Amino acid sequence: MIRIAAMVCSCVVAPFGAAAHGLTVFASVDCETVLVEAKFSNGKAVQQADVRVFDGENALQSTLPIGPDGTVAVPLDSVDHSGGLLIEVSTGSHDNYWIVTPDDIARNCQS
Amino acid sequence: MMLRALRHICAVWLVLSAVQGAVAQDRPEVVAANYPLQYFAERLLGETANVDFPVPADVDPSFWRPSIVDISTIQSADLILLNGAGFATWVDRVSLPRSKLVNTSAAIEDQFIVTESITHSHGEGGEHSHEGLASYLWLDPSLATLQAEAIATAITARDLAPADDVAARLDTLRADLEALDAETRDALKKLQGTAFIATHPRYQYFARKYDLSIASLEWEAGAIPTDTQIEDLRSLIIQTDAQVLIWEASPPAGAFELTTELGLQNIVFPPLAHEVDGLTYFDSFKKTVSVISQVEIQ
Repeated sequence: MIRIAAMVCSCVVAPFGAAAHGLTVFASVDCETVLVEAKFSNGKAVQQADVRVFDGENALQSTLPIGPDGTVAVPLDSVDHSGGLLIEVSTGSHDNYWIVTPDDIARNCQS
Repeated sequence: MMLRALRHICAVWLVLSAVQGAVAQDRPEVVAANYPLQYFAERLLGETANVDFPVPADVDPSFWRPSIVDISTIQSADLILLNGAGFATWVDRVSLPRSKLVNTSAAIEDQFIVTESITHSHGEGGEHSHEGLASYLWLDPSLATLQAEAIATAITARDLAPADDVAARLDTLRADLEALDAETRDALKKLQGTAFIATHPRYQYFARKYDLSIASLEWEAGAIPTDTQIEDLRSLIIQTDAQVLIWEASPPAGAFELTTELGLQNIVFPPLAHEVDGLTYFDSFKKTVSVISQVEIQ
């Protein structure tokens, strides 16, 4: 199959990374949990996906299944969050990530 | 006597070094999402701030995946310069302090080029499509000027450098970009309407600005094209009647031979998301324009 883009000046293929397109991941944090949300680019919630939580040293801390509403809560006391957290969501065909820094956690804990 | 003088000189040197170090440490920190923004910011700030572009040289800044430490550093910067137009996917995967963020293309969204939509179906998400934006704005010097103006406004608004100095530097930078535009237009005039093919979609704004026709493939940078890719290229040559193939970086040995056999001239056009070979934005741009202007069209 020819993967070519249209030809005149302004019409070309989108420069998107294949590994990450189509899935949006967002994580919000408070003093107790990181709430991870994932949805497809068409707005539908992800219903089956693995949520992997890595610490600041990129060591895997936890793997959780996403809930039927496309969210999962990660208790902060279940992971070492001192160096921040990297949250990866993978559906098998799409994946994406969100980075939570130590400042994000501290800032949202104070508010 | 000599020894005493030497001690004095050393003491003065140590004091000066310490002061210089303290000043350097106290300078505002600016982070840019690509090299052109870094370059423009450095031109506008002079020595009054540090401007960092944190993406490693061997990583495409569009798809850089920063570490937590990288993001912590960026969050602590005084000013964060984004390209906008969907450039740098990491921007949408982190929390950034809104007060420090500047989208340098916010005022020119009406000039964005929308790229084609790809519809596909896999996984549980059903059929869906991805429409994007061309993001290499700085390859059009007029759009680059508007980005530089946005940077100057942000610097002044945050009092990172004296406003008069920034305004004067902006005038010089603007004049340089206007001259670049004029030189490029003049050099490429004879190529208007000529069909090119690019190995990657990077040159949309450049093509629009200088009335060139550039069709794009999506070849992996730095890799030798596969048989399938060569067949795709052959088909595209038939469709476009192109005689020139643009590579974003020099390919491995043997790649040029494969495409030359198809009747194509090969040129390398670094899209400047990174600094190239220690050359400035202007020097790289002019070097590339010189190469393009020398292609022989039959």
